[in-house]
Amino acid sequence: MKTIRKIFGIFLLALRASLRTKTVFALLLLMVTSVFLLPAVVKGDGTPQGDCHILVLYTLGFSFALLCLSTLWAACALFAAEIDNQLIQLSAVKPVCAFEFWLGRWFALLLLNAIALFAVYSAVYLQLRWKQRQPGWRESVQLVNRSVVHPLLPTPQEEAQEAYELLAKQKELPQGLSKAQILRVLTTKAQERYTIVNPGESISWRFQLPRPIATNELITIRLRFDTEYSTRTQVTGVCRIASDVLDAPMVEVPLDDFSLQEIEFDLSCQAFHLKHDLSGINLFFTHTGNPAKASALMLRFRKDVVVLTQGGSFEANLLRSALVHWSVLALLAAFGLTLSACFSLPVAVFSSTILLLLVMIGTSVTEVVSVEEEKEWLKKPGILVSRGVSAIAHHALRIDPLESVINGERIEDQAVGEALAWNVLLSPACFAFLGILILRRRELASGD
Amino acid sequence: MNHLIQIKNLGKTFKDFWYRPVIEAVKDLNLTIQQGEVFGLLGPNGSGKSTTLKMLLGLLRPTRGTIELFEGLRPEDVAVKARLGYLPEVSHLHEFLTPRETLMYYAALFGLPQVDAKRRTKELLQMVGLESVADRAVGRFSKGMARRVGLAQALINAPELLILDEPTSGLDPIGCREVKDLVRLLAKSGVTVLMTSHLLADVEDVCDRVAIMNKGERCAYGSTRDLLRNPDMVRFSVSGLTAEVAAEIRLQLEQRAARPVQQDFPEMSLEAYFLKVVSPDANNTAFKVAPFLEKKQ
Ligand SMILES: Nc1ncnc2c1ncn2[C@@H]1O[C@H](COP(=O)(O)OP(=O)(O)OP(=O)(O)O)[C@@H](O)[C@H]1O
Ligand SMILES: [Mg+2]
Repeated sequence: MKTIRKIFGIFLLALRASLRTKTVFALLLLMVTSVFLLPAVVKGDGTPQGDCHILVLYTLGFSFALLCLSTLWAACALFAAEIDNQLIQLSAVKPVCAFEFWLGRWFALLLLNAIALFAVYSAVYLQLRWKQRQPGWRESVQLVNRSVVHPLLPTPQEEAQEAYELLAKQKELPQGLSKAQILRVLTTKAQERYTIVNPGESISWRFQLPRPIATNELITIRLRFDTEYSTRTQVTGVCRIASDVLDAPMVEVPLDDFSLQEIEFDLSCQAFHLKHDLSGINLFFTHTGNPAKASALMLRFRKDVVVLTQGGSFEANLLRSALVHWSVLALLAAFGLTLSACFSLPVAVFSSTILLLLVMIGTSVTEVVSVEEEKEWLKKPGILVSRGVSAIAHHALRIDPLESVINGERIEDQAVGEALAWNVLLSPACFAFLGILILRRRELASGD
Repeated sequence: MNHLIQIKNLGKTFKDFWYRPVIEAVKDLNLTIQQGEVFGLLGPNGSGKSTTLKMLLGLLRPTRGTIELFEGLRPEDVAVKARLGYLPEVSHLHEFLTPRETLMYYAALFGLPQVDAKRRTKELLQMVGLESVADRAVGRFSKGMARRVGLAQALINAPELLILDEPTSGLDPIGCREVKDLVRLLAKSGVTVLMTSHLLADVEDVCDRVAIMNKGERCAYGSTRDLLRNPDMVRFSVSGLTAEVAAEIRLQLEQRAARPVQQDFPEMSLEAYFLKVVSPDANNTAFKVAPFLEKKQ
């Protein structure tokens, strides 16, 4: 009980500190302006879809980035500033454990972030709804939320393992590389692998639906593809879709408009003439182009062929996106607090900002590092650091919720749960542990 | 008598960024402070008084030596912190808080229930005479007013041990007087007080024992009375004598002692005069120590 009172006292102080300083208001003003001004300033392609993209991707993305930075800096300031201006001396002689200080402040940041995110998301959502009432919008922009079902395929890791074994059998393994290194390259390749469908060829996928689909529901099938040299004119095809009941009738959908790189069509489940709910789908695609003239289609199975089913309301998806964003902010707050416990304010702010930048470029660095570069010892520390940072960031930023929202793809419960567990529980616990250790070791009065 | 604080061979060397020793602020200090006494730590600027207090509070880590509080506890222990109050030499306060919120915050840090915290806050605000400004932000307070808030927060938990670093700095003479009264009365009710000061008169008035530090070393240590007694000097003060009677007595004294006798006409101290001129009642920012302590008993 006492602990709760102490944490609450610290929580309240941090809230008051943020509400009574002008920086927070400046930030809020900036955010409000960005939410209302950015959509007006940034030029889209003029279509409602384009406007929608700007509103969700840019406006929300920018506000979120702003929140990330401000959360990080605020967290950096919470201990460091108090140590620097000696205010901590009065609190430190009170019977408060370091973890109570840490938690109280972290909770305050969590609440502030929740409020800020709620404000930004509501503002964007209201704008979306308001714009939907305008002519042109209602028809062309659908605010939907659909579950994405990928075909049943071996995981990239399994595929990589298989490829490795094949290479080993044929004695064609590259020299001078460890197994882990080879597997890493193979896994990346498996993820991005294109499959080529030549004219006249057929290909099929099986989909296991995560929940039974009622016969009156719609499902959507989406194909994305590339063509050789981007010549799209010659391509025609046909999709045959069957439920996974034996001898089920097939539904045939001819496809001839390959001018866009994406084809999407709805299918009513009634077409399958089923007596019970639909639980799986078999999809066959045949390239019916003229073998002499048509070019081949290129697909990445893992990303490009999906079945979409009703996933709930758009609002629910937006809420999930906000939750994921909130979890990232919670992680940043924890990280900033720990830095704040270690360093003085300028050092904490500087190093946290640098690390944030590292996270942003880290992913790209690890991707472009070649196997040869990895062996140069001069480059090793840099690669190690960026790989470590991006490994942490990989978990934190596993999904891009805004991308899902704008594509109308449901952010799955598991993804939200993972984000919350990793960003709000696990990593903060580690950071807190570290921060508390350091706070207890530090001389809080020396003021350097 | 219990030893409330026991300091043995305490030393503190400040180091710079590269861990090179910069200054030895405290050297080989030994002190024992008993329960219920008022102990004064004196010394010129930079003699290591505040450093010693900070080590007692666990804000600095000693380079050498040991500190024991409340019989066997270390300064870092939470149990110790729950039982002491501290007023730092500069009142660092959260500028955006009001005195009331400040006190409520520190009460929360002690885990006091809301009701107790509110009552305690009210009493203390009354005591330090800040009731009328209890809802103004402390950032704009004068030095003395901030000092009063600092003093109030040091008492929020009804501490057993009170550590005051220059409690009277920045206070007006009435405030000083009241703080001294407060210290004396608290000591009477069993609170142990450890204070530092440059104002020797303050220390002389309230401290049972003192230690004098210079350049980090203890150079005198003992009860105030013992240290200050001039063994073969006696002074009489009598009011209302006529000049003739005074001359007669002086002559007699000289004859008896067979030594010359020094005669002077004592003046009122400036403090006494100030207190006579500025009546405490006319000043609404005055401390109200007496009612506070009455309530406590
Ligand atoms: N954080 C610090 N880093 C380096 N040196 C310090 C630090 N704090 C104090 N000192 C040095 O230690 C010595 C003792 O300082 P301290 O504050 O204890 O003196 P003091 O007796 O309280 O003086 P005053 O009467 O002016 O308050 C001084 O020389 C001071 O410069
Ligand atoms: Mg001092």
